[in-house]
Amino acid sequence: MKLKLFYFPIIVCLILLTTTDILHAQFKVNGTVTDSKSGEPLVGVSIVVKNTTIGVTTDTKGNYDITVPGSQATLTFSYVGYISKEFQVSTQTGTLNVQLKEDVLGLQEVVVTGLATSIKRQNAANSVATVSAKELGGTTVNETIDGALYGKISGAQISANSGAPGGGFTVNLRGVTTINGASQPLYVVDGVIVDNSSNSAGLNAVTAAAAGGSSSNQDNPTNRIADLNPEDIQSIDVLKGASAAAIYGARASNGVVIIKTKRGRIGAPKISFSQSIGFNSISKRLGVRQFTLETALANYAPPPGAGATPDEIAAYQARKSFVESLYNNAEQNGFINYENEMYGQKGLLSNSGLSVSWGTAKTQFFVSGLLKNEDGIIKHTGYEKQSLRANIDHQVSKSIHLSVTSNYIHSTSDRGLTNNDNTGVTFGVSLAATPNFVDLRPNQNGIYPDHPFNTANPLQTRDLMTNQETIDRFIASGKVDINLLQTNSHIVKVIAEGGVDNYTQQNKSVFPRRLQFERISAQPGTSIFNDVTNMNTNLRGVVLHTYNPPSGQFTLVSQAGLSINNADQNTIVSVANNLIGVQTNLDQSASINTQQNRTFQNDRGIFLQEEFNVKDTYILTAGVRGDKSSRNGNVDKFYFYPKASLAVNLSNMKFWNVKDINQLKLRIAFGQSGNFANFGAKYTTLGPSNIGGNGGILIGTTRGTEGIRPEQQTEIETGFDASFFDDRATLEFTLYQKRITDMLLNRELEPSTGYQFETFNGGEMTNRGIEVGLNLNPISSANFNWVSNINFWKNTSKVNKLPVPAFRAGGFGATLAIFQIEQGQSASQIVGIDPVVQGPDTTIVTRKLGDHEPDFQMSFYNTFNIFKNWEVSFIAQWKKGGDNINLSQLLFDLNGTTGDYDDTDFNTTELRAAVAGIQPGDVNGVKRTKLLGVSAAQYVQDASYFKLREVGVYYNLPRTTLNKWFGDNVSAIRFGVSGNNLITISPYQSYDPEVSNFGTQPVAGGVEVLPYPAQRKFFFNVKIDF
Amino acid sequence: MKSRIVSDLLQQKILLSFFITLVIVGFSACDILNLKDKVDPNGPSLQALSQNATKDEIANVATGIESGVRVDINLYMVDVGMIGREVYRFLASEPRFTGDLLGKENSVLDNNTFYITRPWRARYAVVRNTNILVESAQNSTELTDNEKNGAYGFAKTIQAYQLLLNLTLTYDNGIRTDVATDNLGPFVNRQTALGNIATLLDDGYSDLNNAGGAFAFPLSDGFAGFDTPATFKTFNRAIAARVAVYDAKYQDALTILNDSFIDPAGDLNTGVYSIFSTASGDQINPIYRNPDAQSGDSWVAHPSYITDLEAGDDRINKVFQRSQTATLDGLGGDYGFYVYKTQTDPYPLIRNEELILIRAESRIQTGDLPGAVSDLNIIRNAHNLPDYSGAQTESALIDEMLKQRRYSLFGEGHRWIDMRRYNRLNQLPIDRTGDNVWQQFPIPAPENA
Repeated sequence: MKLKLFYFPIIVCLILLTTTDILHAQFKVNGTVTDSKSGEPLVGVSIVVKNTTIGVTTDTKGNYDITVPGSQATLTFSYVGYISKEFQVSTQTGTLNVQLKEDVLGLQEVVVTGLATSIKRQNAANSVATVSAKELGGTTVNETIDGALYGKISGAQISANSGAPGGGFTVNLRGVTTINGASQPLYVVDGVIVDNSSNSAGLNAVTAAAAGGSSSNQDNPTNRIADLNPEDIQSIDVLKGASAAAIYGARASNGVVIIKTKRGRIGAPKISFSQSIGFNSISKRLGVRQFTLETALANYAPPPGAGATPDEIAAYQARKSFVESLYNNAEQNGFINYENEMYGQKGLLSNSGLSVSWGTAKTQFFVSGLLKNEDGIIKHTGYEKQSLRANIDHQVSKSIHLSVTSNYIHSTSDRGLTNNDNTGVTFGVSLAATPNFVDLRPNQNGIYPDHPFNTANPLQTRDLMTNQETIDRFIASGKVDINLLQTNSHIVKVIAEGGVDNYTQQNKSVFPRRLQFERISAQPGTSIFNDVTNMNTNLRGVVLHTYNPPSGQFTLVSQAGLSINNADQNTIVSVANNLIGVQTNLDQSASINTQQNRTFQNDRGIFLQEEFNVKDTYILTAGVRGDKSSRNGNVDKFYFYPKASLAVNLSNMKFWNVKDINQLKLRIAFGQSGNFANFGAKYTTLGPSNIGGNGGILIGTTRGTEGIRPEQQTEIETGFDASFFDDRATLEFTLYQKRITDMLLNRELEPSTGYQFETFNGGEMTNRGIEVGLNLNPISSANFNWVSNINFWKNTSKVNKLPVPAFRAGGFGATLAIFQIEQGQSASQIVGIDPVVQGPDTTIVTRKLGDHEPDFQMSFYNTFNIFKNWEVSFIAQWKKGGDNINLSQLLFDLNGTTGDYDDTDFNTTELRAAVAGIQPGDVNGVKRTKLLGVSAAQYVQDASYFKLREVGVYYNLPRTTLNKWFGDNVSAIRFGVSGNNLITISPYQSYDPEVSNFGTQPVAGGVEVLPYPAQRKFFFNVKIDF
Repeated sequence: MKSRIVSDLLQQKILLSFFITLVIVGFSACDILNLKDKVDPNGPSLQALSQNATKDEIANVATGIESGVRVDINLYMVDVGMIGREVYRFLASEPRFTGDLLGKENSVLDNNTFYITRPWRARYAVVRNTNILVESAQNSTELTDNEKNGAYGFAKTIQAYQLLLNLTLTYDNGIRTDVATDNLGPFVNRQTALGNIATLLDDGYSDLNNAGGAFAFPLSDGFAGFDTPATFKTFNRAIAARVAVYDAKYQDALTILNDSFIDPAGDLNTGVYSIFSTASGDQINPIYRNPDAQSGDSWVAHPSYITDLEAGDDRINKVFQRSQTATLDGLGGDYGFYVYKTQTDPYPLIRNEELILIRAESRIQTGDLPGAVSDLNIIRNAHNLPDYSGAQTESALIDEMLKQRRYSLFGEGHRWIDMRRYNRLNQLPIDRTGDNVWQQFPIPAPENA
């Protein structure tokens, strides 16, 4: 060992010494760099002597001054958001003033590759989606980051789980990539891996949603990426599959979303203040049934059958007169549309943001704050967020650069009580049981009447219950960049990066004794307190070596390093029942139950990557990452994830002379990544089982798998990027195939082992797809500039091998349609019962009725600059195909309250109608109810949509007006109106085609059971820059 | 100048290469890439228990065994009670109770339905826990040899009892008796299974004889009077006596009974019970329901219980006259099932009354008819009935014995088993045309047998 140590530096020295550094004469060049359109000086433009590491930046006035070795050279001018330019200079040049053109189509964007490096998009071998700050928040105000991404990432299916305030989104990049594992991508914010869990609030104590056909909690939880302030984001890079994300190793199977926040600038403080005020309203109303006395009696007081006993007849008569009295009361005092009552509120939305960015050449600061207050469309629901951020960049010395980010967030969301239950208490379920002729409003003393047809009065539940989630979160990161060596050809850097993500999530849910459904319970009054504390710490060390030989033949970037991640989470949920009086404290109760659950994860990774760039023409990358984790059965084993890619810029080759094609790049990439086993899969845990006051432990249903391994994904991606017509158009085309093996599957064990299940690795699934992106700048004149971005993407999944029998995943049984994982079928297929003709017989079988995967998706993003000061932009998305399981309509039908119950336009196949006994005169509600138990096809509904996601119209006050009114104090004022989700066109028969009762549970997306309805939002926005 | 600059650079490079080396060596020396294999934070892990259990943890495993015996006994009771035409479990949301279990029309007992898979697995879960107890006692350093034997004896006795319950469900389809490791033994037929169970009980008995004066773990009040090795072993023998008569080894049964807690002069209800409570983590009696509950969710006595009851028999207290007839699916009953009168009433594992009846049965089968009559009279008199006055023949006495078993052990899961082992399933009443009386359950499908 010691001998090796001695030789190692010698070897390194020899390598370094083989470079020849020859010194020649030198000359100076100076000048100013400005924006080609506006003439404004550009601060911080990088000027580099090509093929060397000699460079300077422009100062606050846009001036630069550079000393160039030799007698002639090429200078490269580059600046973020602008197209780089090169100039030949020599001793004769003296002054060189440069105008840079804005990079409207993002041709010169830089995308992430490796853990410490980025690469110009022109040289990238992967299709990495980027979302700029302008795309993210430039059109309208968005509540959360993941909500702001829809329609902006080709290849992604981003879907809101419900319309409840505070977030809750499912992000699937390139299809379903796991069945039982974690399904959401990895989020990295400024180098820190942040937690994105969805923690349940413990509401099952009241809804008992998990007691029925599905054991999922169905609590409609939020997910934690919602906490970040979208206004803080500078850029987002999305690595969609293993070929790009391999360097993130065993966590990267579902893709990686890399978020960078804004930094300070060199110069006087730029203060930006923005205020948005708006309101939201329900996107689509379903309508309520207009009862007549006849239909009211038929539904709520059906006459007894022929053989009725006198008791039964008496009960019927009583019920009949009761319903009659309710109806007559409504005729006199007015019918009530409860959909409007519950969902008709126009919530007030307010967003105030302030950001200050300033600095010197040595230190730059960015400070921002956010105050968000948004009401929901249901009374007493809403979302409040306060966020404070400070980012500091400091050049400690010539070779040491320090970068620190810190962010504190506090948010409160009141989400109401929606989605599925088995007790009749959620808003949607109790609304479904409410006809328009009962009056459930409180009297002048604030007393609510009992619901005559249901266990809960939705107005009372809404007004008296609490379901509040409070988040306190602190995310901080620090990065130290040390230039160990900088010569003309070599740069050696050491980068140490670390961060912390610490939050407390508290869910407080109180259901007072007075509530109707609490009064009839054995233990009236429920108070649930859920406390989750989470701490993630990351540390990463990278050694980066860039080698640019003076011949300029190639560039070699090598990086190696290691990564340490720790995550700890502790969840304590207490449910107190039988509350004392109006008390809500947990100890003010007659019975209290507490559960605790702890999870932890410790990962260690090592990685190595080489990037070999031959004159921007051939770019070859190869790398490998090794990961070990406490989640694996064998914690000491390294699992390796290699990657390799090649990009060939045909347009940079000597033979290229096609005038109209400015760039043509062919690329192919390969990579592997993993997905950890779920926490606990390797443990056989005995659970408590007490008797007679003694504490006992008994085995549970799951046998731990000691040798559990991560799932493995292999992706191959190929395609081309081209830009045309003087960079006025770009085309990106990608084909990919992902193969997932060693999937985490559950296997049923022989019950005589005492266990029921164990997790094992097996099976194989593939996702194949195509992504096409077209960026155009069709019209670019002084008074009208139009930039258009069109994306098309399609993904198909298939389960190739399944070593267990086909199983159901996500849903409530074949009678109501359910997802089924089956060998040879799509991973998102929906099966259900349906009658088929087999020979002379007609039997009811279970067969495929639909698929949640869309046929394809398209997005359209258009920005117009009109008459220099007007800006109009909109984002629209078209999803074609993809089915949901709509059970909301079923629940309305079973209660007889569907809006179209009495219409006759519902059609079904002849076979189904015959088996169900549908008569010609039956109304919609009766037809659909008869089909229950005969066919599940009516619940599998086409959830295609065309949505106008965001629209914004803005006016920028012209410079002359600004100067006239404010002199030099104000540099820009912009105001305008915007809207979210203004138009949704869809054949789907419920509130919104984007919905998921089961939250982010993989495979089970698109099941709907009376969610919090989706809303459209309108904003009036003002932004002032000082 | 050139050479000075070059040597500056050389110096710089040597310095830097040392620095890099230092960094790399430093990292690897720090061992930061090493991970410790941590145990499950949320509960006791099997690994830790098997290798290094503390005395307290062993006590927890034993209590878990006692507690686990109660899991899903309501499903067991529904199974044996419905097929044995003792009780009706009316549950409107579960049509398979009055359908499959009674063989309504064309229905059969499905091998992948909860009525067999759940109670079957619940018993084997306890069996697994008993094997864990044996293994952890073996490897623990905190128990004395006597205490270890006590643990083995307890484990083997309960394991045998749990295997017996599953055998009563699958009968001639057999059970697995060797499930100690994840490498499961094969299914064995009923004869072999009974033999294995008997051997297991005998092994447990000899362990208990070397177990000293006390167990290393507490037992609940359900074991009051049976919570030391000396008293617990009488419970072991009681179960063994039941196994012996199931195996038609009547002479053996008589011998075994002598070592059990049989007491003809004592309280018929002396015995070992599963107890229940509303305390945290505990369980209430899952068979309890209000006997007058609405039809849609009720336990109802089979009408034949009342019609065949002798006048004056105080075992009429085990049923409750309902205010309204309970009806479901073409069946009906006027009397609610009332053996368990509150949600915390205990459930017997085996009682003195059964032991006396076993003795009566064994005496009949070994020719001691007068002895049998005297035992039957103990039972009859205890329930307000006069002495037996029927024929003193073997067949008449068997009829009487079976009748007394029917009423004495009503609601404890014996009727179907007794009628089956005497080949009298065809004597059980058929309530609806097309109903069947099943002989046994199929082996649960997940067993892949």
